[in-house]
Amino acid sequence: MTDVQQTRIAAGAMTADTAFRVRMRRLFGVLQGMASNPATVIGLVVIALMLVMAIFAPWILEPNSPDPYQMPRDWGAVRKPPGTPGHPLGTTNEGGDVLYGVIWGSRTSLQLSLMVVGSTMIVGTIVGSIAGLVGGWVDEVLMRLVDVFLSIPELIFALAIAAVLGPSFGNIILALAVVLWVKYARIMRAQVLQIKQHDFVDAARVIGDTKLNIYLRDILPNAVTPVTVQATLDMGNVVLIGATLSFIGLSEAGIAEWGVLVSEGQAGIASGRWWASTFPGLMIFLWALAFNLVGDGLRDALDPRTEGR
Amino acid sequence: MRAAAEPQADDLILSIREVKKHYPIREGALQRVVGHVRAVDGVSFDIRRGQTVGLVGESGCGKTTLGRVIAALADPTDGGVHYSMDGAMCRIDRLEGKAARTFRRNCQMVFQDSYASLNPRHLVIDLVGRPLKVYNEAASSDLVERVVELLDQVGLGRQHLYRYPHQFSGGQRQRISIARALALNPEVIVLDEPTSALDVSVQAQILNLLNDLQKERNLAYLFVTHDLSVVRHMADRLVVMYLGKVAEAGETQAIFDSPHHPYTRELMAAKPDMEAEANVEIRGLEGTVPDPARPPQGCRFHTRCELATSACGWEVDDVVRWLEDAPGMFEHLVGVERTTEFAAELAFDTEEAAGLLSMAVRSEQVPEAMRAAMRRLNLDGTKVEIEFEDVGEVELTARDDGRMAACVLAPQEVASWKSP
Repeated sequence: MTDVQQTRIAAGAMTADTAFRVRMRRLFGVLQGMASNPATVIGLVVIALMLVMAIFAPWILEPNSPDPYQMPRDWGAVRKPPGTPGHPLGTTNEGGDVLYGVIWGSRTSLQLSLMVVGSTMIVGTIVGSIAGLVGGWVDEVLMRLVDVFLSIPELIFALAIAAVLGPSFGNIILALAVVLWVKYARIMRAQVLQIKQHDFVDAARVIGDTKLNIYLRDILPNAVTPVTVQATLDMGNVVLIGATLSFIGLSEAGIAEWGVLVSEGQAGIASGRWWASTFPGLMIFLWALAFNLVGDGLRDALDPRTEGR
Repeated sequence: MRAAAEPQADDLILSIREVKKHYPIREGALQRVVGHVRAVDGVSFDIRRGQTVGLVGESGCGKTTLGRVIAALADPTDGGVHYSMDGAMCRIDRLEGKAARTFRRNCQMVFQDSYASLNPRHLVIDLVGRPLKVYNEAASSDLVERVVELLDQVGLGRQHLYRYPHQFSGGQRQRISIARALALNPEVIVLDEPTSALDVSVQAQILNLLNDLQKERNLAYLFVTHDLSVVRHMADRLVVMYLGKVAEAGETQAIFDSPHHPYTRELMAAKPDMEAEANVEIRGLEGTVPDPARPPQGCRFHTRCELATSACGWEVDDVVRWLEDAPGMFEHLVGVERTTEFAAELAFDTEEAAGLLSMAVRSEQVPEAMRAAMRRLNLDGTKVEIEFEDVGEVELTARDDGRMAACVLAPQEVASWKSP
């Protein structure tokens, strides 16, 4: 290998490194923007704690066998108040440990929100992009379909689907996914329509780049900001709606899920047994609040008027 | 001109032949087409190797649209742009595969807004290196060297490789755009108002850079601009456009010395003069550009032309254009029935109003040329019939000195006219 070749390779390595570092600095700038907002920081901390709880649940509390997502039953200790040895947050009417429900419930919630938000974001982005890029009658048909979905209130629509499919946690995920993808399709279409007018798209066409590349390199990266913000907000909202559906009995009984626990515990509130509903209810509240705070912060930090200037 | 043979020439790069670009106007729930905006309405000229053609006109004259058609960003409605490839002229909207790529590589574009034309999420190396990647011309370390070379040619350097567009000034961003356009070593670059968003001092730097690059690489430019002083500095040939048509075309110097079209004259006169005394009123073009969806008959400039004669294509629309601000003139108008392009019957609901109009079109309220072009004026109760001389479209024709102009007047008549 000659010296020249060696220098070139070294230059290449240096290059990739520099570009990476510049991009990281930009990402860091966005994070810094978020960190300057105390509400966002609180939200981030709460989310981080929830994630730690969800990830390390098997190490915090021994999983129930055979199915760790079912509440363990201790028939010898029903309706015990918080502070009872072995049951720091008390037990339910059926002897379920509230602490177990709170901790393993965070896993259930994380699964629910990731699956719903992930699938709706992908489907919505694809449908919205096609509508915005192709236009014409394709756009008309897709958007009228979206209008139909949007004309029915989210909760009622999801409730109807979940009711038809039958009570199960999986059906709640499915119902929410069917209802929520349209929001992303709407946002994405509007973004694509706006961004494809930009001169830099024409500039890429003049170079002769392919349509797919123009979409992937020019349109999509500039369009995802509002989709990301919406996804963050939905991470919280999905759990809220999911809990509502669980609460009215569209989930399986006995599952370690916050909404189910609130539902099972509410009968005891009148008799003074407040704990079985309050702790999981508090978790739902914190989860939804945290993601909404971070979503708002993200929207401000990614604002195209201020980003990177 | 219409039946012009496919042009053949050695140093010809692009030949624009009778290009039209009409945009449909849609209305109502069914989106029916109710008319067309004739943004470009039959324009022809050639671009040769190493030459700069200046395309000038007011905003809305169709120059930017034509630039986009030439860069193949928009397809012409009619006519075509022919590209010289292997000795033959090929229409660019019919090219496919390898031939289309060859044209694409050889015809690049620099946009007016340097901020909007650079993807804000890409680094300079991505922006300038992108054409090289698209055609697999360079990769990794080789790519870096090629990009540095290109940056060097436009007065930027290695230290700028890893920066975002927003970290540069307007002039520097335009240099990045130029570097990107140069990357594939094209034959022709469409420059769409490349300096009109820049400070005067920066403008000069960019213009000098473009001049230097042209000499070095024997580039051809299509310089689209509204700024005559810039074009005088840059262009070898001028094409002056008005309302989608060419008003005048020829050598830049000759046109500046003696414009053959009153519009060109007015454009030059409208330019603020550096040497003029303070507080001297700058003479500008009067009136506004007519609606390109319904361009005037005859010569399209006659509605604003101070030299207009009776042969310029006066029509009933002009009567309305002239008198619409007169108090009470059209308040009682109930209907207009067109019999031909040049004749119509205007119906009013009072005899008084009809009388008022027939008086007005005979008076000093309308230009003398319009009165002279009127063949018939008939007042019949509440109706006024007006008919003008039937005049064909004023075509671009060659003058004695070999230059082209679309005007009914001889060059001497245009030249001898003194502004009041």
